[in-house]
Amino acid sequence: MALKIINTCVNCYACEPLCPSQAIYKAEAHFLINPRKCTECEGDFEEAQCASICPIEGAILDKFGLAINPPGSLTGIPPERMAEVMAELQAH
Amino acid sequence: MELPVLNDQPASKGGCSASSCGTTDDQLDHLTDEIRAKVQNHPCYSEDAHHYFARMHVAVAPACNIQCHYCNRKYDCANESRPGVVSELLTPDQAVKKTMAVAANIPQMTVLGIAGPGDPLANPEQTFETFRQLSQDAPDIKLCVSTNGLALPASVEELSKHNIDHVTITINCVDPEVGAKIYPWIFWENRRIKGIEGAKILIEQQQKGLEMLVAKGILVKVNSVMIPGVNDKHLAEVSRIVKSKGAFLHNVMPLIAEAEHGTFYGVMGQRGPTPDELMELQDSCSGDMNMMRHCRQCRADAVGMLGEDRGDEFTMDKIEDMEIDYQAAMEKRKVIHQAIEAEMNSKREAKSATLAKQVAEEKLTTRPVLMAVATSGQGVINVHFGHAKEFLIYEASPEGVRFISHRKTDLYCGGDETCGDGESVLQQTIRALAGCETVLCSKIGYEPWEMLEQAGIMPNGEHAMEPIEEAVMAVYKEMAKAGKLDEIKPEQRATA
Repeated sequence: MALKIINTCVNCYACEPLCPSQAIYKAEAHFLINPRKCTECEGDFEEAQCASICPIEGAILDKFGLAINPPGSLTGIPPERMAEVMAELQAH
Repeated sequence: MELPVLNDQPASKGGCSASSCGTTDDQLDHLTDEIRAKVQNHPCYSEDAHHYFARMHVAVAPACNIQCHYCNRKYDCANESRPGVVSELLTPDQAVKKTMAVAANIPQMTVLGIAGPGDPLANPEQTFETFRQLSQDAPDIKLCVSTNGLALPASVEELSKHNIDHVTITINCVDPEVGAKIYPWIFWENRRIKGIEGAKILIEQQQKGLEMLVAKGILVKVNSVMIPGVNDKHLAEVSRIVKSKGAFLHNVMPLIAEAEHGTFYGVMGQRGPTPDELMELQDSCSGDMNMMRHCRQCRADAVGMLGEDRGDEFTMDKIEDMEIDYQAAMEKRKVIHQAIEAEMNSKREAKSATLAKQVAEEKLTTRPVLMAVATSGQGVINVHFGHAKEFLIYEASPEGVRFISHRKTDLYCGGDETCGDGESVLQQTIRALAGCETVLCSKIGYEPWEMLEQAGIMPNGEHAMEPIEEAVMAVYKEMAKAGKLDEIKPEQRATA
Protein backbone atom coordinates (compact mmCIF):
# COMPACT_ATOMS: atom_id res chain seq x y z
CA MET A 1 0.00 0.00 0.00
CA ALA A 2 1.97 2.94 -1.25
CA LEU A 3 1.81 5.90 -3.62
CA LYS A 4 4.37 6.44 -6.35
CA ILE A 5 6.01 9.52 -7.89
CA ILE A 6 6.88 9.12 -11.56
CA ASN A 7 9.29 10.90 -13.91
CA THR A 8 6.99 13.80 -14.75
CA CYS A 9 7.84 15.17 -11.28
CA VAL A 10 9.39 18.67 -11.66
CA ASN A 11 11.27 18.63 -8.34
CA CYS A 12 9.31 21.48 -6.77
CA TYR A 13 9.82 20.08 -3.24
CA ALA A 14 6.24 20.92 -2.22
CA CYS A 15 5.35 17.37 -1.17
CA GLU A 16 8.48 16.44 0.74
CA PRO A 17 7.95 18.40 3.99
CA LEU A 18 4.25 17.46 4.12
CA CYS A 19 4.71 13.69 4.32
CA PRO A 20 3.76 12.51 7.83
CA SER A 21 5.88 9.37 7.39
CA GLN A 22 9.01 11.00 5.92
CA ALA A 23 8.60 8.59 3.04
CA ILE A 24 9.46 11.13 0.31
CA TYR A 25 13.09 11.67 -0.62
CA LYS A 26 15.05 13.46 -3.32
CA ALA A 27 16.67 11.02 -5.72
CA GLU A 28 18.91 11.67 -8.71
CA ALA A 29 16.28 12.54 -11.31
CA HIS A 30 13.28 13.43 -9.18
CA PHE A 31 11.56 12.78 -5.86
CA LEU A 32 10.61 9.24 -4.91
CA ILE A 33 8.40 7.59 -2.29
CA ASN A 34 9.79 4.82 -0.13
CA PRO A 35 7.02 2.20 -0.45
CA ARG A 36 7.94 0.67 2.91
CA LYS A 37 7.32 3.96 4.71
CA CYS A 38 4.33 5.33 2.76
CA THR A 39 1.01 4.95 4.59
CA GLU A 40 -1.02 6.94 2.03
CA CYS A 41 -1.49 9.26 5.03
CA GLU A 42 -3.95 6.86 6.63
CA GLY A 43 -4.51 7.78 10.25
CA ASP A 44 -2.87 11.20 9.74
CA PHE A 45 -4.89 12.99 7.08
CA GLU A 46 -8.06 12.46 5.12
CA GLU A 47 -6.28 12.95 1.83
CA ALA A 48 -2.78 11.95 0.75
CA GLN A 49 -0.73 15.09 1.34
CA CYS A 50 1.71 14.71 -1.56
CA ALA A 51 -1.10 14.27 -4.04
CA SER A 52 -3.00 17.20 -2.53
CA ILE A 53 -0.26 19.76 -3.18
CA CYS A 54 1.42 18.29 -6.29
CA PRO A 55 0.92 20.78 -9.17
CA ILE A 56 1.69 18.26 -11.92
CA GLU A 57 -1.15 16.17 -13.28
CA GLY A 58 -0.27 12.49 -13.47
CA ALA A 59 2.95 12.72 -11.45
CA ILE A 60 1.63 10.76 -8.45
CA LEU A 61 0.03 7.33 -8.83
CA ASP A 62 -2.15 5.43 -6.38
CA LYS A 63 -1.59 1.82 -5.36
CA PHE A 64 -3.32 0.64 -8.56
CA GLY A 65 -0.96 2.69 -10.71
CA LEU A 66 -3.63 5.25 -11.60
CA ALA A 67 -3.00 8.98 -11.65
CA ILE A 68 -4.48 10.57 -8.53
CA ASN A 69 -4.66 13.89 -10.39
CA PRO A 70 -5.61 12.95 -13.96
CA PRO A 71 -5.10 15.28 -16.96
CA GLY A 72 -7.23 18.42 -16.72
CA SER A 73 -8.02 17.97 -13.02
CA LEU A 74 -5.58 20.59 -11.73
CA THR A 75 -5.04 23.05 -14.56
CA GLY A 76 -8.61 23.03 -15.83
CA ILE A 77 -7.27 22.60 -19.38
CA PRO A 78 -9.41 19.96 -21.17
CA PRO A 79 -6.97 17.20 -22.31
CA GLU A 80 -8.28 17.33 -25.90
CA ARG A 81 -7.60 21.09 -26.03
CA MET A 82 -4.08 20.53 -24.72
CA ALA A 83 -3.46 17.84 -27.36
CA GLU A 84 -4.78 20.07 -30.14
CA VAL A 85 -2.60 23.04 -29.12
CA MET A 86 0.52 20.90 -28.66
CA ALA A 87 0.00 19.32 -32.11
CA GLU A 88 -0.33 22.80 -33.60
CA LEU A 89 2.92 23.92 -31.96
CA GLN A 90 4.73 20.78 -33.17
CA ALA A 91 3.57 21.44 -36.73
CA HIS A 92 5.26 24.85 -36.78
CA MET B 1 1.42 52.34 12.20
CA GLU B 2 -1.02 53.68 9.66
CA LEU B 3 0.68 54.68 6.44
CA PRO B 4 -0.44 57.97 4.94
CA VAL B 5 -2.85 57.84 2.04
CA LEU B 6 -1.01 58.76 -1.11
CA ASN B 7 -2.12 60.79 -4.08
CA ASP B 8 -5.43 61.87 -2.62
CA GLN B 9 -6.26 64.18 -5.51
CA PRO B 10 -8.63 62.79 -8.10
CA ALA B 11 -6.88 62.23 -11.40
CA SER B 12 -7.29 64.54 -14.31
CA LYS B 13 -5.90 63.05 -17.46
CA GLY B 14 -2.76 64.69 -18.74
CA GLY B 15 0.57 65.85 -17.46
CA CYS B 16 -0.31 66.33 -13.83
CA SER B 17 -2.35 63.24 -13.15
CA ALA B 18 -0.45 60.05 -12.41
CA SER B 19 2.48 61.88 -10.99
CA SER B 20 3.19 65.49 -10.35
CA CYS B 21 4.53 67.96 -12.88
CA GLY B 22 8.22 68.13 -13.56
CA THR B 23 9.94 64.87 -12.76
CA THR B 24 6.99 62.96 -14.00
CA ASP B 25 8.73 59.68 -14.64
CA ASP B 26 9.42 59.19 -11.00
CA GLN B 27 6.73 57.38 -9.05
CA LEU B 28 8.35 58.43 -5.79
CA ASP B 29 7.07 61.97 -6.04
CA HIS B 30 4.01 61.38 -3.89
CA LEU B 31 5.74 59.52 -1.13
CA THR B 32 6.49 60.92 2.25
CA ASP B 33 10.16 61.64 2.93
CA GLU B 34 10.35 58.62 5.21
CA ILE B 35 9.14 56.17 2.56
CA ARG B 36 11.09 57.90 -0.15
CA ALA B 37 14.30 57.47 1.81
CA LYS B 38 13.59 53.77 2.08
CA VAL B 39 12.98 53.22 -1.61
CA GLN B 40 15.09 55.76 -3.47
CA ASN B 41 17.87 53.31 -4.22
CA HIS B 42 15.48 50.45 -4.92
CA PRO B 43 15.53 49.79 -8.66
CA CYS B 44 12.08 48.24 -8.71
CA TYR B 45 10.35 51.30 -7.32
CA SER B 46 11.31 54.03 -9.70
CA GLU B 47 12.12 54.31 -13.36
CA ASP B 48 14.86 56.71 -12.39
CA ALA B 49 16.59 54.45 -9.84
CA HIS B 50 16.52 51.39 -12.02
CA HIS B 51 18.98 52.92 -14.46
CA TYR B 52 21.47 53.33 -11.63
CA PHE B 53 20.88 50.47 -9.21
CA ALA B 54 20.67 46.75 -9.75
CA ARG B 55 18.73 44.00 -8.01
CA MET B 56 18.90 40.25 -7.96
CA HIS B 57 16.60 37.37 -7.18
CA VAL B 58 17.75 34.10 -5.70
CA ALA B 59 15.73 31.01 -6.53
CA VAL B 60 15.53 29.22 -3.19
CA ALA B 61 11.76 28.72 -3.06
CA PRO B 62 10.57 25.98 -5.42
CA ALA B 63 7.33 24.90 -3.73
CA CYS B 64 4.03 26.65 -4.26
CA ASN B 65 0.79 26.49 -2.32
CA ILE B 66 -1.57 27.67 -5.05
CA GLN B 67 -2.04 27.35 -8.81
CA CYS B 68 -2.48 30.44 -10.97
CA HIS B 69 -3.83 30.17 -14.48
CA TYR B 70 -0.91 32.23 -15.86
CA CYS B 71 1.72 29.94 -14.40
CA ASN B 72 3.09 26.58 -15.44
CA ARG B 73 5.50 24.88 -13.06
CA LYS B 74 6.84 22.55 -15.74
CA TYR B 75 8.99 24.72 -17.93
CA ASP B 76 12.39 26.28 -17.75
CA CYS B 77 13.01 27.83 -21.15
CA ALA B 78 16.38 29.57 -21.56
CA ASN B 79 14.82 31.98 -24.03
CA GLU B 80 12.13 33.10 -21.70
CA SER B 81 12.24 35.94 -19.28
CA ARG B 82 9.18 36.01 -17.09
CA PRO B 83 8.21 35.37 -13.49
CA GLY B 84 8.17 31.75 -12.36
CA VAL B 85 10.97 30.72 -14.73
CA VAL B 86 14.35 29.78 -13.30
CA SER B 87 17.38 27.77 -14.41
CA GLU B 88 19.16 26.85 -11.20
CA LEU B 89 17.63 26.17 -7.80
CA LEU B 90 19.84 27.20 -4.87
CA THR B 91 20.15 26.15 -1.25
CA PRO B 92 20.13 29.02 1.27
CA ASP B 93 23.93 28.72 1.70
CA GLN B 94 24.45 28.89 -2.05
CA ALA B 95 22.03 31.80 -2.33
CA VAL B 96 23.93 33.75 0.33
CA LYS B 97 27.22 33.08 -1.41
CA LYS B 98 25.80 34.10 -4.78
CA THR B 99 24.30 37.28 -3.34
CA MET B 100 27.58 38.34 -1.78
CA ALA B 101 29.50 37.49 -4.96
CA VAL B 102 27.15 39.62 -7.04
CA ALA B 103 27.18 42.47 -4.51
CA ALA B 104 30.99 42.47 -4.55
CA ASN B 105 31.19 42.40 -8.35
CA ILE B 106 28.23 44.63 -9.21
CA PRO B 107 28.47 47.32 -6.53
CA GLN B 108 25.27 48.96 -7.81
CA MET B 109 23.38 45.92 -6.54
CA THR B 110 21.28 47.19 -3.64
CA VAL B 111 18.40 44.78 -3.37
CA LEU B 112 18.04 41.04 -2.95
CA GLY B 113 14.62 39.58 -3.53
CA ILE B 114 13.18 36.14 -3.09
CA ALA B 115 10.38 35.65 -5.55
CA GLY B 116 10.20 31.99 -6.33
CA PRO B 117 10.11 30.12 -8.60
CA GLY B 118 7.28 28.97 -6.31
CA ASP B 119 6.03 31.04 -3.40
CA PRO B 120 8.75 32.16 -0.93
CA LEU B 121 6.44 31.79 2.06
CA ALA B 122 5.49 28.25 1.04
CA ASN B 123 9.20 27.51 1.59
CA PRO B 124 9.65 29.27 4.93
CA GLU B 125 12.79 27.43 6.02
CA GLN B 126 14.76 28.20 2.87
CA THR B 127 13.47 31.76 2.57
CA PHE B 128 14.06 32.74 6.19
CA GLU B 129 17.43 31.01 6.44
CA THR B 130 18.59 33.06 3.44
CA PHE B 131 17.26 36.26 5.01
CA ARG B 132 18.77 35.42 8.41
CA GLN B 133 22.25 34.94 7.00
CA LEU B 134 22.13 37.99 4.75
CA SER B 135 20.79 40.31 7.49
CA GLN B 136 23.84 39.29 9.48
CA ASP B 137 26.59 39.01 6.86
CA ALA B 138 25.55 41.65 4.32
CA PRO B 139 23.70 44.34 6.25
CA ASP B 140 24.01 46.85 3.40
CA ILE B 141 21.72 44.83 1.15
CA LYS B 142 18.00 45.50 1.28
CA LEU B 143 15.88 42.38 1.37
CA CYS B 144 12.49 41.93 -0.14
CA VAL B 145 10.06 39.17 -0.80
CA SER B 146 7.21 38.62 -3.20
CA THR B 147 4.28 36.37 -2.29
CA ASN B 148 0.84 35.26 -3.34
CA GLY B 149 -0.22 36.03 0.24
CA LEU B 150 -1.73 32.70 1.27
CA ALA B 151 0.89 32.01 3.95
CA LEU B 152 1.50 35.68 4.71
CA PRO B 153 -0.35 36.14 8.03
CA ALA B 154 1.60 33.22 9.49
CA SER B 155 4.90 34.75 8.29
CA VAL B 156 4.59 38.43 9.25
CA GLU B 157 6.23 38.01 12.65
CA GLU B 158 9.28 36.27 11.17
CA LEU B 159 9.49 38.74 8.26
CA SER B 160 9.60 41.66 10.67
CA LYS B 161 12.71 40.24 12.35
CA HIS B 162 14.94 40.62 9.29
CA ASN B 163 16.24 43.46 7.21
CA ILE B 164 13.04 43.45 5.16
CA ASP B 165 11.30 46.70 4.56
CA HIS B 166 9.36 45.79 1.44
CA VAL B 167 6.95 42.99 0.71
CA THR B 168 5.14 42.54 -2.59
CA ILE B 169 1.78 40.77 -2.57
CA THR B 170 0.23 39.68 -5.83
CA ILE B 171 -3.46 40.53 -5.50
CA ASN B 172 -5.47 39.96 -8.65
CA CYS B 173 -8.93 40.27 -7.15
CA VAL B 174 -10.98 40.92 -4.03
CA ASP B 175 -14.01 39.00 -5.27
CA PRO B 176 -13.93 35.17 -4.95
CA GLU B 177 -16.00 34.76 -8.12
CA VAL B 178 -13.34 36.60 -10.09
CA GLY B 179 -10.71 34.68 -8.14
CA ALA B 180 -12.12 31.31 -9.18
CA LYS B 181 -11.37 32.27 -12.81
CA ILE B 182 -7.72 32.97 -11.93
CA TYR B 183 -6.87 30.39 -9.26
CA PRO B 184 -8.05 26.82 -9.94
CA TRP B 185 -6.94 25.61 -6.50
CA ILE B 186 -5.10 26.40 -3.31
CA PHE B 187 -3.52 24.08 -0.71
CA TRP B 188 -4.82 25.08 2.69
CA GLU B 189 -4.90 23.27 6.04
CA ASN B 190 -3.80 19.97 4.49
CA ARG B 191 -6.39 19.98 1.70
CA ARG B 192 -6.52 21.00 -1.92
CA ILE B 193 -9.43 23.43 -2.18
CA LYS B 194 -10.78 24.26 -5.62
CA GLY B 195 -12.92 27.02 -7.08
CA ILE B 196 -14.65 29.84 -5.24
CA GLU B 197 -14.02 28.34 -1.81
CA GLY B 198 -10.26 28.31 -2.40
CA ALA B 199 -10.22 31.79 -3.92
CA LYS B 200 -12.17 33.14 -0.93
CA ILE B 201 -9.58 31.85 1.54
CA LEU B 202 -6.72 33.21 -0.56
CA ILE B 203 -8.31 36.66 -0.74
CA GLU B 204 -8.95 36.71 3.03
CA GLN B 205 -5.33 35.78 3.78
CA GLN B 206 -3.96 38.36 1.32
CA GLN B 207 -6.01 41.15 2.84
CA LYS B 208 -5.20 40.10 6.41
CA GLY B 209 -1.49 39.86 5.54
CA LEU B 210 -1.55 43.31 3.96
CA GLU B 211 -3.10 44.82 7.10
CA MET B 212 -0.63 43.04 9.40
CA LEU B 213 2.40 44.21 7.40
CA VAL B 214 1.19 47.80 7.35
CA ALA B 215 0.61 47.63 11.11
CA LYS B 216 4.26 46.54 11.48
CA GLY B 217 5.48 49.47 9.39
CA ILE B 218 6.68 47.24 6.54
CA LEU B 219 6.14 48.77 3.09
CA VAL B 220 3.74 46.83 0.91
CA LYS B 221 3.61 46.95 -2.86
CA VAL B 222 0.71 45.23 -4.58
CA ASN B 223 1.19 43.52 -7.94
CA SER B 224 -1.81 42.71 -10.13
CA VAL B 225 -1.90 40.84 -13.40
CA MET B 226 -4.33 42.43 -15.84
CA ILE B 227 -6.36 39.71 -17.56
CA PRO B 228 -8.79 41.12 -20.14
CA GLY B 229 -12.34 39.92 -19.60
CA VAL B 230 -11.44 38.36 -16.24
CA ASN B 231 -10.28 41.05 -13.82
CA ASP B 232 -9.65 44.15 -15.95
CA LYS B 233 -12.83 45.91 -14.86
CA HIS B 234 -12.27 44.76 -11.29
CA LEU B 235 -8.73 46.08 -10.76
CA ALA B 236 -9.73 49.68 -10.13
CA GLU B 237 -11.63 48.42 -7.08
CA VAL B 238 -8.62 46.32 -6.02
CA SER B 239 -6.48 49.43 -6.31
CA ARG B 240 -8.87 51.47 -4.17
CA ILE B 241 -9.07 48.82 -1.46
CA VAL B 242 -5.36 48.05 -1.15
CA LYS B 243 -4.59 51.75 -1.03
CA SER B 244 -7.13 52.31 1.73
CA LYS B 245 -5.42 49.55 3.69
CA GLY B 246 -2.02 51.20 3.35
CA ALA B 247 -0.24 49.67 0.34
CA PHE B 248 2.16 52.33 -0.95
CA LEU B 249 2.40 51.33 -4.59
CA HIS B 250 0.28 49.41 -7.09
CA ASN B 251 1.88 47.67 -10.05
CA VAL B 252 -0.55 46.53 -12.73
CA MET B 253 1.24 44.20 -15.13
CA PRO B 254 0.02 42.75 -18.41
CA LEU B 255 -0.83 39.06 -18.57
CA ILE B 256 1.85 37.08 -20.42
CA ALA B 257 0.10 34.18 -22.16
CA GLU B 258 1.47 32.12 -25.02
CA ALA B 259 0.35 28.62 -25.96
CA GLU B 260 3.96 27.39 -25.83
CA HIS B 261 4.19 28.30 -22.14
CA GLY B 262 1.62 25.58 -21.46
CA THR B 263 -0.34 27.72 -19.01
CA PHE B 264 -4.14 27.57 -18.76
CA TYR B 265 -4.48 31.05 -20.24
CA GLY B 266 -1.89 30.35 -22.93
CA VAL B 267 -3.46 27.09 -24.04
CA MET B 268 -7.04 28.34 -23.82
CA GLY B 269 -6.22 31.37 -25.98
CA GLN B 270 -6.77 34.02 -23.34
CA ARG B 271 -5.16 37.19 -24.68
CA GLY B 272 -3.08 39.70 -22.77
CA PRO B 273 -4.00 43.38 -22.76
CA THR B 274 -2.86 45.71 -25.52
CA PRO B 275 -0.48 48.51 -24.44
CA ASP B 276 -3.40 50.93 -24.78
CA GLU B 277 -5.66 48.88 -22.51
CA LEU B 278 -2.93 48.58 -19.91
CA MET B 279 -2.25 52.30 -19.99
CA GLU B 280 -5.93 53.12 -19.69
CA LEU B 281 -6.31 50.88 -16.65
CA GLN B 282 -3.17 52.29 -15.02
CA ASP B 283 -4.55 55.77 -15.59
CA SER B 284 -7.95 54.85 -14.15
CA CYS B 285 -6.29 53.38 -11.05
CA SER B 286 -3.93 56.30 -10.60
CA GLY B 287 -6.64 58.50 -9.14
CA ASP B 288 -6.71 56.23 -6.14
CA MET B 289 -3.18 55.00 -6.05
CA ASN B 290 0.45 55.63 -6.72
CA MET B 291 1.00 53.52 -9.83
CA MET B 292 4.15 51.80 -10.93
CA ARG B 293 4.69 51.80 -14.66
CA HIS B 294 8.12 50.44 -15.41
CA CYS B 295 8.03 46.85 -14.11
CA ARG B 296 9.93 44.51 -16.46
CA GLN B 297 8.39 41.29 -15.06
CA CYS B 298 11.72 39.60 -14.48
CA ARG B 299 12.59 35.99 -13.78
CA ALA B 300 12.81 34.49 -10.30
CA ASP B 301 16.61 34.22 -10.74
CA ALA B 302 17.31 37.54 -12.49
CA VAL B 303 20.58 39.37 -11.79
CA GLY B 304 21.43 42.94 -12.74
CA MET B 305 19.61 46.07 -13.80
CA LEU B 306 15.88 45.77 -14.52
CA GLY B 307 15.40 44.39 -18.00
CA GLU B 308 18.89 42.92 -18.26
CA ASP B 309 20.01 39.60 -16.93
CA ARG B 310 23.59 38.85 -15.95
CA GLY B 311 22.69 35.56 -14.29
CA ASP B 312 25.05 33.64 -16.59
CA GLU B 313 28.05 35.36 -15.02
CA PHE B 314 27.10 34.06 -11.60
CA THR B 315 26.23 30.41 -11.97
CA MET B 316 27.10 28.28 -8.92
CA ASP B 317 30.15 26.67 -10.55
CA LYS B 318 31.61 30.12 -11.26
CA ILE B 319 30.82 31.36 -7.77
CA GLU B 320 32.47 28.42 -6.05
CA ASP B 321 35.83 29.71 -7.35
CA MET B 322 35.33 33.31 -6.29
CA GLU B 323 37.11 34.67 -3.23
CA ILE B 324 35.03 37.39 -1.63
CA ASP B 325 36.20 39.87 0.97
CA TYR B 326 32.81 41.28 1.86
CA GLN B 327 34.07 43.84 4.35
CA ALA B 328 36.23 45.42 1.65
CA ALA B 329 33.39 45.14 -0.85
CA MET B 330 31.04 46.92 1.55
CA GLU B 331 33.42 49.89 1.86
CA LYS B 332 33.62 50.14 -1.92
CA ARG B 333 29.88 49.75 -2.30
CA LYS B 334 29.21 52.57 0.13
CA VAL B 335 31.37 55.02 -1.80
CA ILE B 336 29.79 54.03 -5.10
CA HIS B 337 26.24 54.27 -3.74
CA GLN B 338 26.90 57.76 -2.42
CA ALA B 339 28.28 58.88 -5.77
CA ILE B 340 25.28 57.45 -7.61
CA GLU B 341 22.84 59.11 -5.25
CA ALA B 342 24.57 62.45 -5.69
CA GLU B 343 24.43 62.06 -9.46
CA MET B 344 20.75 61.09 -9.36
CA ASN B 345 19.90 64.06 -7.19
CA SER B 346 21.73 66.56 -9.35
CA LYS B 347 20.15 65.15 -12.52
CA ARG B 348 16.73 65.26 -10.90
CA GLU B 349 17.18 68.88 -9.90
CA ALA B 350 18.45 69.89 -13.33
CA LYS B 351 15.52 68.14 -14.97
CA SER B 352 12.97 69.84 -12.73
CA ALA B 353 14.49 73.21 -13.47
CA THR B 354 14.45 72.66 -17.25
CA LEU B 355 10.91 71.38 -17.27
CA ALA B 356 9.66 74.17 -15.06
CA LYS B 357 11.19 76.59 -17.53
CA GLN B 358 9.62 74.85 -20.52
CA VAL B 359 6.19 74.87 -18.93
CA ALA B 360 6.54 78.51 -17.94
CA GLU B 361 7.65 79.64 -21.40
CA GLU B 362 4.42 79.33 -23.31
CA LYS B 363 1.29 77.45 -22.53
CA LEU B 364 0.20 75.29 -25.43
CA THR B 365 -3.38 74.11 -25.68
CA THR B 366 -2.76 71.16 -27.96
CA ARG B 367 -3.71 67.51 -27.45
CA PRO B 368 -1.30 65.05 -25.79
CA VAL B 369 1.00 62.85 -27.90
CA LEU B 370 2.68 59.53 -27.11
CA MET B 371 6.32 59.16 -28.07
CA ALA B 372 8.62 56.16 -27.91
CA VAL B 373 12.25 56.59 -26.84
CA ALA B 374 15.19 54.24 -27.40
CA THR B 375 17.45 54.45 -24.37
CA SER B 376 19.76 52.25 -22.38
CA GLY B 377 19.49 54.49 -19.34
CA GLN B 378 21.12 57.55 -17.80
CA GLY B 379 18.09 59.54 -18.94
CA VAL B 380 19.33 60.19 -22.49
CA ILE B 381 18.41 59.04 -26.00
CA ASN B 382 21.32 56.76 -26.77
CA VAL B 383 20.19 53.62 -28.60
CA HIS B 384 20.03 52.87 -32.33
CA PHE B 385 16.47 52.00 -33.39
CA GLY B 386 17.48 48.56 -34.60
CA HIS B 387 19.34 47.74 -31.38
CA ALA B 388 16.55 48.71 -28.99
CA LYS B 389 15.29 45.79 -26.92
CA GLU B 390 12.62 48.01 -25.45
CA PHE B 391 11.23 51.50 -25.79
CA LEU B 392 10.16 53.85 -23.03
CA ILE B 393 6.84 55.51 -23.76
CA TYR B 394 6.32 59.13 -22.76
CA GLU B 395 3.30 61.34 -23.03
CA ALA B 396 3.94 64.94 -24.02
CA SER B 397 1.21 67.48 -23.36
CA PRO B 398 0.99 71.16 -22.54
CA GLU B 399 1.34 70.15 -18.89
CA GLY B 400 4.74 68.57 -19.41
CA VAL B 401 6.25 65.17 -20.08
CA ARG B 402 5.36 62.04 -18.13
CA PHE B 403 6.65 58.50 -18.25
CA ILE B 404 3.88 56.06 -19.20
CA SER B 405 5.39 52.61 -19.63
CA HIS B 406 8.02 50.56 -21.37
CA ARG B 407 7.33 48.25 -24.28
CA LYS B 408 9.46 45.29 -25.12
CA THR B 409 10.36 44.65 -28.73
CA ASP B 410 11.07 40.94 -28.40
CA LEU B 411 7.64 40.17 -26.91
CA TYR B 412 9.02 38.17 -24.01
CA CYS B 413 10.87 35.69 -26.16
CA GLY B 414 14.44 35.81 -27.34
CA GLY B 415 14.06 32.79 -29.59
CA ASP B 416 14.13 32.87 -33.38
CA GLU B 417 11.12 33.10 -35.67
CA THR B 418 10.17 29.47 -35.08
CA CYS B 419 9.11 30.65 -31.64
CA GLY B 420 6.48 33.05 -32.99
CA ASP B 421 4.19 33.31 -35.97
CA GLY B 422 6.91 34.24 -38.42
CA GLU B 423 6.29 37.96 -38.17
CA SER B 424 9.52 39.88 -38.71
CA VAL B 425 11.21 41.53 -35.76
CA LEU B 426 10.68 44.89 -37.39
CA GLN B 427 6.95 44.28 -37.80
CA GLN B 428 6.75 43.17 -34.18
CA THR B 429 8.54 46.29 -33.07
CA ILE B 430 6.24 48.53 -35.06
CA ARG B 431 3.24 46.73 -33.58
CA ALA B 432 4.66 47.24 -30.09
CA LEU B 433 4.80 50.97 -30.77
CA ALA B 434 1.11 51.24 -31.68
CA GLY B 435 -0.38 54.51 -30.48
CA CYS B 436 2.94 56.38 -30.59
CA GLU B 437 3.29 59.15 -33.16
CA THR B 438 7.03 59.61 -32.94
CA VAL B 439 9.98 57.44 -32.06
CA LEU B 440 13.16 59.07 -30.81
CA CYS B 441 16.42 57.16 -31.19
CA SER B 442 20.10 57.90 -31.68
CA LYS B 443 20.09 56.62 -35.29
CA ILE B 444 17.85 54.67 -37.60
CA GLY B 445 18.28 52.81 -40.89
CA TYR B 446 16.52 53.52 -44.16
CA GLU B 447 14.24 50.46 -44.24
CA PRO B 448 12.81 50.82 -40.74
CA TRP B 449 12.38 54.56 -41.37
CA GLU B 450 10.13 53.85 -44.33
CA MET B 451 8.14 51.18 -42.54
CA LEU B 452 7.62 53.38 -39.49
CA GLU B 453 6.44 56.25 -41.65
CA GLN B 454 4.00 53.96 -43.42
CA ALA B 455 2.69 52.90 -40.02
CA GLY B 456 2.12 56.53 -39.10
CA ILE B 457 5.04 56.76 -36.67
CA MET B 458 7.56 59.51 -37.39
CA PRO B 459 11.16 58.48 -36.71
CA ASN B 460 13.42 61.12 -35.22
CA GLY B 461 17.20 60.79 -34.84
CA GLU B 462 17.91 64.47 -34.27
CA HIS B 463 18.14 64.32 -30.48
CA ALA B 464 20.85 61.72 -29.97
CA MET B 465 22.48 61.90 -26.52
CA GLU B 466 20.04 64.57 -25.34
CA PRO B 467 18.08 64.25 -22.07
CA ILE B 468 14.80 62.43 -22.77
CA GLU B 469 12.28 64.85 -21.28
CA GLU B 470 13.83 67.89 -22.95
CA ALA B 471 13.94 66.19 -26.34
CA VAL B 472 10.36 64.92 -26.05
CA MET B 473 9.14 68.41 -25.17
CA ALA B 474 11.16 69.95 -28.03
CA VAL B 475 9.65 67.51 -30.54
CA TYR B 476 6.18 68.13 -29.12
CA LYS B 477 6.59 71.86 -29.61
CA GLU B 478 7.81 71.34 -33.18
CA MET B 479 4.72 69.24 -33.86
CA ALA B 480 2.49 71.93 -32.36
CA LYS B 481 4.23 74.63 -34.37
CA ALA B 482 3.88 72.65 -37.58
CA GLY B 483 0.13 72.49 -36.95
CA LYS B 484 0.15 68.71 -36.54
CA LEU B 485 -1.70 68.79 -33.26
CA ASP B 486 -5.35 69.67 -32.87
CA GLU B 487 -6.25 72.23 -30.31
CA ILE B 488 -8.19 70.93 -27.36
CA LYS B 489 -11.23 73.06 -26.67
CA PRO B 490 -11.31 74.43 -23.13
CA GLU B 491 -14.44 72.45 -22.15
CA GLN B 492 -12.81 69.22 -23.42
CA ARG B 493 -9.73 69.89 -21.40
CA ALA B 494 -11.71 70.35 -18.25
CA THR B 495 -13.26 66.90 -18.56
CA ALA B 496 -10.51 65.04 -20.39
